[in-house]
Amino acid sequence: MTEERLDAAFTALADPTRRAIIARLAQGDATVNELAAPFEMSLPGISKHLKVLERCGLISRSRQAQFRPCHLESAELDAAIEWIEEHRRVWAERFDRLDEHLRNIQESPVEKEDT
Amino acid sequence: MNVPHAAPGDLEFTRVFDAPRELVFACMIQPEHLTHFWGPHGTSAPVDRIHVDPRPGGRFETVMVNDADGSEYPTRATYVEVVEPERLVWEEAHTAMTVTATFIDLDGARTEVRIHQTNVPEAMRSSEAQAGFLTSLDRFAAYLDQLHDGSTP
Repeated sequence: MTEERLDAAFTALADPTRRAIIARLAQGDATVNELAAPFEMSLPGISKHLKVLERCGLISRSRQAQFRPCHLESAELDAAIEWIEEHRRVWAERFDRLDEHLRNIQESPVEKEDT
Repeated sequence: MNVPHAAPGDLEFTRVFDAPRELVFACMIQPEHLTHFWGPHGTSAPVDRIHVDPRPGGRFETVMVNDADGSEYPTRATYVEVVEPERLVWEEAHTAMTVTATFIDLDGARTEVRIHQTNVPEAMRSSEAQAGFLTSLDRFAAYLDQLHDGSTP
């Protein structure tokens, strides 16, 4: 995923309604009507959100089927989430090693110098 | 998720260490300590390539070397704030990422370290984005993981 694409994905995901739409689609494809149901929002309002999500590649819509169900593009979403988790992972691993280092230097400083 | 001090847009990591605060703080600013833990899994941070000058405007430079193929990931940062042994703030040159490390004294010579990391892509610095996207997204990622596992909350 390019930097530009990642930016677009984060912009799209900054909106709570769009996050809710993504969460719904993670459970399976859905039509605009089905997606609009839980929100107090007009169909055009929902459609606008869907267009943003579609433009950044997070969802796709069938050209053939009559009700054009929306489909979550998991790989795109994973790439955006991976970006966040990468930072988390670096700190988690770093702190694991710091924990071990602190144990080593506190337990046996003298012995450590000998070996 | 317990993130009482996380400002909107921050990514937060907290860990409690079984060591006094002065020692934990020293580990974060001394090359001979940093070399033992700065590189995440599968990398090393050679001590002779860590440069630390812990004062505002001073440099904080490291190189992480991939153990498998020797490829290098240099990081150049500048300290913004150094309050021993409570607080360290540095800004990375190439990403403009700001990291704040807070050291909190706990009972029994334990220390809590909180890392706040802001790494906001340019496009996210809009008014809409100020609503706390990363913290929300962080939770959102956890929520989606649950969905993938089939344990819908």
